[in-house]
Amino acid sequence: MKLGIPHFGNVYVPMKAIAQQLGITDALIIPPPMTQKTLNLGVKYSPYEACLPYKLTLGSLIETCELGANTLAQARGSGICRLGYYAKNQEQILRDLGYSAKFLTIDVSHNKLISILRLIKNLANDASWYEISSAFFFGISKLFALDKIEKVVQEIRAIEVEKGTANKIYHEAIRNIDEATKRKGIKDITKEYIEKLNHIEKNNKDHPLKVGVVGEIYVVIEPFANMDIEEELGKLGVEVERTMTLSRWVKYSLFLNYLGADEWRKVHHLAKPYIDHDVGGDGWESVGEKILFAHKGFDGIVHLAPFTCMPEIVAQNVMPSTREDIPVLAVTCDEQQGKQGLLTRLEAFVDLLEFRRRKNGRRIYNTR
Amino acid sequence: MNKVGIPRALLYYQYYPGWRSFFEHLGAEVVTSPPTNRTILTAGISRAVADTCLPVKVFLGHTISLISKCDYIFIPSMTSFGKKTYNCSKIIGLPNITRAVLPEGPIILDPNIDLEKGRWYFYHQIYKLASHFTSNPVKMKKAIDIAWQKQLAYRKKMSDEKITPNQALSDLYGNPHSASPQKNPQGNLTIALLGHPYITNDEYLNHRIIYHLQNMGANILTSEMASQTAIDAAATKAVGETHWAFEPDIIGAGQYYTEMKVDGIISLSAFGCGPDSMMMVWVEHRAKDTKTPFLPLSLDEHSSGGAMLTRLEAFLDMIKRKGTKLPTPSPAYC
Repeated sequence: MKLGIPHFGNVYVPMKAIAQQLGITDALIIPPPMTQKTLNLGVKYSPYEACLPYKLTLGSLIETCELGANTLAQARGSGICRLGYYAKNQEQILRDLGYSAKFLTIDVSHNKLISILRLIKNLANDASWYEISSAFFFGISKLFALDKIEKVVQEIRAIEVEKGTANKIYHEAIRNIDEATKRKGIKDITKEYIEKLNHIEKNNKDHPLKVGVVGEIYVVIEPFANMDIEEELGKLGVEVERTMTLSRWVKYSLFLNYLGADEWRKVHHLAKPYIDHDVGGDGWESVGEKILFAHKGFDGIVHLAPFTCMPEIVAQNVMPSTREDIPVLAVTCDEQQGKQGLLTRLEAFVDLLEFRRRKNGRRIYNTR
Repeated sequence: MNKVGIPRALLYYQYYPGWRSFFEHLGAEVVTSPPTNRTILTAGISRAVADTCLPVKVFLGHTISLISKCDYIFIPSMTSFGKKTYNCSKIIGLPNITRAVLPEGPIILDPNIDLEKGRWYFYHQIYKLASHFTSNPVKMKKAIDIAWQKQLAYRKKMSDEKITPNQALSDLYGNPHSASPQKNPQGNLTIALLGHPYITNDEYLNHRIIYHLQNMGANILTSEMASQTAIDAAATKAVGETHWAFEPDIIGAGQYYTEMKVDGIISLSAFGCGPDSMMMVWVEHRAKDTKTPFLPLSLDEHSSGGAMLTRLEAFLDMIKRKGTKLPTPSPAYC
């Protein structure tokens, strides 16, 4: 069995680590980094009205098929958006293209942990559960390390003197963590890189503008889908924060939710006056997070959504009616988008935020 | 007397008789908005975010036209009709969207119909809804029972008599709902028209597609003209576990009518429709497998009736000529 996985942020790093620990590196095929070619492939063979995550994952899966994958992993959910249809449709498309790949789906709405562990067990030719769980924890410790570094990068990008330095170090860190083979080593690498990031030469701006990124999980996490919007905001001197990270998803959805913790409780509570029940995808959370960021004293929000995403359209309609007054830049991601157009919009948005701050002064951060 | 407004859009075409009899038995008067027209469409478009799909924009237009004509507006949030079967997000979030973009509107009655959460949740929602009109639980129970019977009778009437919701509604309530001829012509051409009921039946949005097709001599079959059990079974056969509430209407009907060997399939969807973008592909694939001619049509606020007519004519001509041998071109043209 040769398992191909689509790209989704840094998800390939833990997957590779798990395969390495179990000694089945040959059985896992990581597609090449996403490029315009991936997108073109996805767009060419997808239904024209499908959303960007569908097209990108399809493109990525086709690339793994070209490398010889015969089994493909894809998320499945009984949620309300079309994610539930991804695997069904993509399997058909790939069959029409002549690849006889089988789909292994990961249920992301129920029994998440079990379906992921089962996938690994399948892959590892029935290795013992002890080996699998230790490999699994090794994999996710890499994920946590990466997100920890990224958080620092998001802060440093805004205030570094030579733009792009933090990003360079971040990519180096990803490479190094990807190559690490011991759990202890990961901790050292994390510490080393955070130290390195803190030693970058900074300008003496005390409180850079702060922007929260909310929206659909795939386009928020995958930098190729949102055209490196966080990096571009950093170049404009804006500090970015996003709640949605892969490590948070792993932490809650795979473990703490079973113990009764709900990471979204506060966000859902804040959104209650406007949306009082799940509308699928991340629509409910987007509205709640806007309010949360406003309470925390952020300067603005960037709302990312794939074109024709149903839950995010609900959120887009509801957002302007909230009582909290905070500028929102709605960015729709699809294959037609151009980077220059996005940059112009970002510049205008940042100008607006600067004017507001000059007029109203810095809003006091609510530490609650 | 309490007046309840029901916008003539989205789920109206599927559930109007049930809703109406429910409110009437609770002693309320039901007001319906007029059929879609230019004013309604423009009003709706002006309020919603640009990416919103056409049917939701039209729905908002209908709601605007009901403001000041009623005390309540009934906008249920139809979340789930069965285990792991959900509606589209925009239909689930419809009361929330309406409240956000029309703050001046009357009180919105928004029961959350979510059968996934069990029957007690459903009873609670119905109780909360009905307590706007009465405090007598027996009366509520009776109203919901009668409404359910009415709803089933309405669904059965459509499949038995092979009529569209518009025709069934004008039979039931008298007012002219439809410009289409009452029954299909006895032509020998059968076309299945697949799409959400709120698109195939809104004659302003779809440029009276059923009327035009019937005028061209085609028998039209829509998902309502098959019995619910038949299309449910066909959907299960085609894709297994259903994921969306409309799957029987689109994939089920697609499977059912391709098995019936109709002469052609026309799919009608609104631009940007999430569920359709996945389901119509499936139907198209199925049509390709069975060599059934397939015409996908997509509607948005800029589509024009003339262009659609041309495509329909060409499609029907193609079907009529299918199988007949083309005359070999004379050498002069080669």
